[in-house]
Amino acid sequence: MKFCVCIKQVPDVTAPIQIRDGALQMDAGRVVLNAYDASAVEAALVLTEAHGGEVEVVLIGPEKATETIRKALAMGAHRATHLVVDEGAALDSHAVSELLARHFEGADCDVILTGKQAQDTDAGLAGAMLAERLGRPYATNAVGLGLDGEAVVVTRQGDTGQETIALPTPCLVTCSNDMNDPRIPNLRGVMQAKKKPLDARPVAEAPAPRVQTLGYEPLPSREPGVRLDGEPAEQAADLVRRLADASVL
Amino acid sequence: MPKILSYAAVQNGQPTRASLEGLSRARELAQARGAGLAAVVLAPDAEAHAEVFGRYGAQTVYAVSDPVFKTHLNTPVLEALEAVIGRAEPEVVVFPSTEGVKDVLGALAVRTGGTVLPDVSEVEVRGDGAVEGLRPVMASKFLARVRAEGAPVLVSVRAGSYEATEAPTEATVEPVPFSFDQGSLRQTLREVATSAAGAVDLSDARVVVAAGRGVKDEAGKQLVEELAEVLGAAIGASRAVVESGMFPATAQIGQTGKVVSPDLYVGVGLSGAIQHVAGMVNSRVIVAINNNPDAPIFDVATYGIVGDLYQVLPPLIAALKEQNVAV
Repeated sequence: MKFCVCIKQVPDVTAPIQIRDGALQMDAGRVVLNAYDASAVEAALVLTEAHGGEVEVVLIGPEKATETIRKALAMGAHRATHLVVDEGAALDSHAVSELLARHFEGADCDVILTGKQAQDTDAGLAGAMLAERLGRPYATNAVGLGLDGEAVVVTRQGDTGQETIALPTPCLVTCSNDMNDPRIPNLRGVMQAKKKPLDARPVAEAPAPRVQTLGYEPLPSREPGVRLDGEPAEQAADLVRRLADASVL
Repeated sequence: MPKILSYAAVQNGQPTRASLEGLSRARELAQARGAGLAAVVLAPDAEAHAEVFGRYGAQTVYAVSDPVFKTHLNTPVLEALEAVIGRAEPEVVVFPSTEGVKDVLGALAVRTGGTVLPDVSEVEVRGDGAVEGLRPVMASKFLARVRAEGAPVLVSVRAGSYEATEAPTEATVEPVPFSFDQGSLRQTLREVATSAAGAVDLSDARVVVAAGRGVKDEAGKQLVEELAEVLGAAIGASRAVVESGMFPATAQIGQTGKVVSPDLYVGVGLSGAIQHVAGMVNSRVIVAINNNPDAPIFDVATYGIVGDLYQVLPPLIAALKEQNVAV
């Protein structure tokens, strides 16, 4: 079975980030493979190791995102396609899914996997948009993935429980990071990654985004908190009185 | 007349709180714009819910009834919403930001030629019809101001962003014919496993008690459960104690799990990693109980108690019981 995993390079959200004039200021060097996508790569590797097949990763991003592709190849993916766009290209979920749909149109790929969302924007739209454009059945927020004959069996986290769904191929699944712990590439993997096929294709014309980002703002600040001191019984009484005063009991 | 449509999710035979919040906000937007307000509900007995939506101001309730809506599957939900959007031709569709909604929004946008603003904490419709929203990004460290044009704009609103307020109207029920051919279903639902806590959706709870790594054993878990019971709270958890198997995956709060914004959130033995805080920072009152005075959760806490949860919870539970008797 052939798995194609869509991956994204994202800013490291744990790095210091500031706002200046409505724009985010961050260290351009602090970038990582989106954690949800890393889980998708891991899931594809586990299934191909058990059942055979191939894992290709596909990334839309600027030239420098090659390092993120190498990371996925070092984990064990077999080949990669890099759809190269200009640094700072404004791509929203609409544009990304359109570009990916063009790429996958007619491509031989049984299962497309994506992370359930990107860590920077948390939009979580591109996967289902891509599935719809390709006319594939899909499932989102997968916490478990398996194969049962020709069917792909997905356990997804729903609102009130876990839903187990069987999908025929070709299909698309978006993955949660609760699915697995992605492997850390070893030295051998890193060396092999350098020799694996990486097809870089410049994107001639990126679709216009539908959603404009007008700017960034700090979160509304919370009132400074109060520490309740004393012995546990005093702290308890103090807290209950304050919660009653705030009418939340 | 331009229309604003509000999607109402039904769980356990009740519209969820987040749905009524979304409907209330949709009503304010419709009033400001001189637009009509409609609601859409998909359920085995959709008509039965019409009265509730009228109470919150919906003039029209599109009711799509089919047994298939008893459990969530994206294909029938997409087909039904596509049909209702085609019929109502709304400018804006407001959704509660639930897992069920997240599952269909992207595909629905492609099907209807619409644009999506997902998971916003604020939404406005401008004079020119453009929709603007604020949405948390970068693990909820910042808000992005986003703008979308072109009908329909699909907006999903985070739970707790707006108050659910009644404004009774005589609602007209429009049953929407829907026949779903099970044979056309390319996905099959094999099983639904609900957590032991029953089917109470954490995102809908008014009070949440969340457990973290400090809850080490069965005795600690029992204290958390007792506290939740006396507060009438739903139980949430950090990723660590979900991974360890102590709490079910449905309890996980955070960037990856559920977003909660109850009136009262009590974090017990929970340090408050940014991924967790991203899922609870909009709670009205936040109480943190942790033995580490430097735990980041104290940065967002309204009331902080530095102490061992095994020492702090028993007197707290007793004091709350007394308070309950007094009220």
